[in-house]
Amino acid sequence: MEFFAAQALNGLVIGLLYALMAVGLSLIFSVLKLVNFAHGECYMMGAFVSYYLATLFGVNPILSVFLAMIAVFLLGAVIHQLFLKPIYTERVERKDEYAILITFGLGIFLQNLAMSIFGPWTKRSPDFLPGTTLLGFLTVDNNRLVVSAAAVLIVTALLIVIGKTFVGKALRAVSQDRDAAAIVGVNSQRMNLLAFGIGVALAGGAGALIGPIFLISPVMGILPGIKSFVIIVLGGMGSIKGAIIGSLLLGQIESLGSVFFLDPTRGLAYKNAFGVLLLAIVLLLRPTGLFGERHVRME
Amino acid sequence: MAKRSLIGSGVAILLGLLVPLFIKSYWLHVSIMALYYALLAASWTMLAGFAGQFSFATMALAGISAYTSALLVLKAGIPIWLGMIAGALMATVVGLLVGALVLRMSGPYLALFTIAFSEIVRITLNAEYQLTRGDMGLTVPHLYATVSKVPYYYTILGLLVASLVIMWAILRSRYGLFFRAIREDEQAAAAMGVNTVRYKILAFVISSFFAGVAGGFFAHYIGTLTPNSIMEIPRMGLVIAMSVIGGIESLAGAVAGATVVEFLQEYLRVIGMWRFVIFGLALVLILRFSQNGLIYPLYQRLAGRRVELRREPELELELEPEPKPKPGAETGT
Repeated sequence: MEFFAAQALNGLVIGLLYALMAVGLSLIFSVLKLVNFAHGECYMMGAFVSYYLATLFGVNPILSVFLAMIAVFLLGAVIHQLFLKPIYTERVERKDEYAILITFGLGIFLQNLAMSIFGPWTKRSPDFLPGTTLLGFLTVDNNRLVVSAAAVLIVTALLIVIGKTFVGKALRAVSQDRDAAAIVGVNSQRMNLLAFGIGVALAGGAGALIGPIFLISPVMGILPGIKSFVIIVLGGMGSIKGAIIGSLLLGQIESLGSVFFLDPTRGLAYKNAFGVLLLAIVLLLRPTGLFGERHVRME
Repeated sequence: MAKRSLIGSGVAILLGLLVPLFIKSYWLHVSIMALYYALLAASWTMLAGFAGQFSFATMALAGISAYTSALLVLKAGIPIWLGMIAGALMATVVGLLVGALVLRMSGPYLALFTIAFSEIVRITLNAEYQLTRGDMGLTVPHLYATVSKVPYYYTILGLLVASLVIMWAILRSRYGLFFRAIREDEQAAAAMGVNTVRYKILAFVISSFFAGVAGGFFAHYIGTLTPNSIMEIPRMGLVIAMSVIGGIESLAGAVAGATVVEFLQEYLRVIGMWRFVIFGLALVLILRFSQNGLIYPLYQRLAGRRVELRREPELELELEPEPKPKPGAETGT
């Protein structure tokens, strides 16, 4: 029972981090109508920025997470201005295909760049809060508590911004109908920039938060990136609520699934495969996902 | 146009045949790898450039074929050539399953699913180390009993030329027209009576088969198989870079791109990982500023023709109604 609870708690922490990434990806999809195939690499960049801020410049690890998010936001802004903006100004043919290839290419580029600059070795970020806490009968690593709290805080803040503020309303307007939003005076280019920046910054935040729990390396983003793809299809493309629920679900499936796998010695190795199995089932039975609307294409 | 391409292809094949006379051992290995990648890039180009379906599974399918063939030869003791055929067929069947699952939807689902699928195939092959020896490397019997690389060179050259001819014939046929109609406008193609799902799956299956052919060759050429040496995501990125640099809408461009990138990759070994940074940068800059790629437009300019913007002139759609029923079906009714 204790073991079960500990696994469920681990799954919850991982699920919250997935939520951070997947909400970002979903926000990007809902506004820009494209899948950011460089999402995992933005996550990786966030991890490295916060690692170097904390180790080289001695910045407080928690502060370095927020600085990393800002840095990744700026990276996203540059990517948007240079490579994604032309999609919406009619200068690119076959926008869907261009969007897939350009983001995938940027991901490969960032990954190789990180490999060249930071080296292929794994690193571990400094602790947010050393030690452990006793929660009932469970001993929990303090880092995981900080990470969970930060993830909940960031996602809640985003939900409030999207749900309650004027900017959030403008973002939703562009996501529903780009032209109509333009008619009522919303600058859709600026909203694209904002959505892409925030989306990748969330991934960067997740990467920065994972630093003290798991090791960081240039290829660390590949699997979390893929999992966030699985989650947004599971939750419904572009649905933020779906992304959150899908993330928590995948966190539990992975954590409990690896323990109750038929052959426990391989459970851990196959942990990463559960998501894809889930993806195949969703695509087979309900391609629009849990909360999805019909997929909208770029105009 | 056709005449010129024919002469161009003839010259290219002739040059290809003469290569082993001039280059020795190590660079011959590089040439073999270039042709291997050319086959993969061409199979990806056929799917992405002509049918407009972006898949990241090419390397995974090649890997499935490589392991199928290697394991059948090792465990069941079948002849190597039969193993390679079985591998290619396995890749085709897996391609059919993936295609049937994902291609019912349009949009980014194929890309999303295939990238996840590739990683899972890699993880599974690593995890089942009792069977595949995972990262330790599976020792696979070589195709030929000699240490010379020349027979391998001619084998992959032959496979590449044969595959290109088949792909070219398919793309010239009615099916090629359907593929391009789907690429240009899926809804319009469907409205004209093209069964878009069926032809998308067909394109994916054909592409999978050729990826499988390349994978089977790789297994029995390289001799030591690890999942990472075939199907890492960055390697898929390299194949896409080859195709895009060559010109995404031309099989010849894919071959040229693969050759150029593979040789550059070896020449630039001194700068280490930075060469992949350069290829990545080249990939995104070419996508952004020159969607026709670099090599194919250059060739067109050298051949004295104006560079046509993306569309080929023969693309005027003259869709006939659905394909004729098979003769057997006619007599049946």
